[in-house]
Amino acid sequence: MILQRCISQAKYYLIRSCVVQSNIKQTYCETHHKHTIRSRKYTDRHEWVTVDTDEGTVGISKYAQESLGDVVFAQLPDEGKKLNAGDECGALESVKAASEIYSPLTGIVTEKNKEVENKPSLINISCYEKGWLYKLKLTKLEELDELMNEEQYETFLKTDVEKHDA
Amino acid sequence: MALSMMKKMTMSGACLIVGVAKRTSIRSLASATQGLSAKKLRQLPTEGEVTKSVFMSQSTDIYTNLALEDWMYRNMDFSNHHVMMVWRNEPCVVIGRHQNPWLEANIPLLNDKEIAMARRNSGGGTVYHDRGNLNITFFTPRERYDRQYNLELIKRALFRGFGIKSVINERHDIIVRDKYKISGTAAKLGRLTGYHHCTLLVNANKADLSKALAKRETKATESTPSAVINLADLDNRMTVDSLQTALGYEYLRTPALTLEDGGQNLIAKQRGFQFVNPTDDWFPGLAELRQELQSWDWCYGRTPLFTVSRSFPVPAELLAPSRVYSSTQELSINMSVENGLISDVTLNIPPGLVESGFHGEASVITHLKGKRFTSEALNALQEAMLTRHISGDQRKLDEKEQFVAKCFDQVVNTILQADCVEDSFYLDTST
Repeated sequence: MILQRCISQAKYYLIRSCVVQSNIKQTYCETHHKHTIRSRKYTDRHEWVTVDTDEGTVGISKYAQESLGDVVFAQLPDEGKKLNAGDECGALESVKAASEIYSPLTGIVTEKNKEVENKPSLINISCYEKGWLYKLKLTKLEELDELMNEEQYETFLKTDVEKHDA
Repeated sequence: MALSMMKKMTMSGACLIVGVAKRTSIRSLASATQGLSAKKLRQLPTEGEVTKSVFMSQSTDIYTNLALEDWMYRNMDFSNHHVMMVWRNEPCVVIGRHQNPWLEANIPLLNDKEIAMARRNSGGGTVYHDRGNLNITFFTPRERYDRQYNLELIKRALFRGFGIKSVINERHDIIVRDKYKISGTAAKLGRLTGYHHCTLLVNANKADLSKALAKRETKATESTPSAVINLADLDNRMTVDSLQTALGYEYLRTPALTLEDGGQNLIAKQRGFQFVNPTDDWFPGLAELRQELQSWDWCYGRTPLFTVSRSFPVPAELLAPSRVYSSTQELSINMSVENGLISDVTLNIPPGLVESGFHGEASVITHLKGKRFTSEALNALQEAMLTRHISGDQRKLDEKEQFVAKCFDQVVNTILQADCVEDSFYLDTST
């Protein structure tokens, strides 16, 4: 009897602590959610990512698309692939160079854009909409803070271009 | 000496990676606190601080040379040291990273003549190499990747060394005498390093070249197969060695970023010509890279999904003798090939063949799934048909089965014709 009560009490506490934890998690996600759903974040390798709760969508920036030229083949990571931020995860082949693509964040790939695989020129036509590359379930949301926002990326591009011209 | 030099290079490669990791963490701290600070760029040394080397690979094995290229790309730091590697190979066909070897190369001929087939890491089209062909790879930091500079440098070397005038066209091919192509070009860009490599035809076997590369008539994008010429036809003093020397000196006398002539003075400041021996002792991990590059899974298995459809008229003697058929009786085979493995097969058997007693059973076809798109599939098919002869009275395929097997043989063992193949993309074939 006593033992049973003990167990049920322990259960109760466990459940409660779980509820509390999940509450914390939710609020944490929500703040992120608000911050990131509409704004793209960028890496210094010219990838962008948007985040909806814990799902990230990855693509390449307009600048990257323009400097690649016509993309003729897209090799994208398969569903279920685990990626760390900065991992090589595929390649985009343009008229005469194969450029590696790197994952901006850590997570597991949930979907690749099959339309882009069939029609790589979508990357050139619509790099922020139809030309997204893959989606991933993010496991380290805090990494988002390391990426650049639109404004920072613009500044980064300016210095980058200046350097190239110099 | 050389060994220690290489070790140093690996070390510096490792240091660089550590450096980058450190910088990112510092950067993340900064952006976390300041919020708006833009990221800093990698600081590259000025032109005067960059030295140059010409590496001459002592291997003539395509897989070893591709592994060496990949090793250097992965492990070396080119920020203050630019490298031009020159290398040549025994006869081989090299396809681009995302190409279909069955479509680009004459696989049956390659097997017959023992010509190697390799897939490289860079993009672009298919090329043929032999000892009369010089390969050149230019390694730089990614930010300083400059294809135009490299090609102009080759152009200058051809003129300074041999008086050969050439032009670079909009596809970045080097053209002589208005229309003849002597060079095909391809590149790979990574986060830190980029390389550009190209071929130069000196006295390659042009007959083998055209036989080894499949002639494709494409309905999709009209490719413009270029007329090629050997440089030795333009100047009979030219050999692969003399060209290599001329290119090497041109590379060393040209400053790292600008196309100027730095003359003997500049040559003296560079690190010069170095023989490299691509072995695991010099380049730890090279053997593993080589093995991967030589594997079937990389060379063939990395082919993007494609489907083949072919039809074969059934010979009259195999049809039911009593019947008259209004149309030609054709056996048609459709195959999807994913990662080089047969993923789906459909076999359409014409009524004439069915009525004469052939049973194309589904069980036979399912044996093909998962098999490599090679004779392996054919063997599996024959095996499956034989095991159907349960009675044991026959250990040989009957005429109709033999015909079907022959059709499958045709599908997997002849050059694929582009109009029978559906794949998502075509690239022009170089050289």
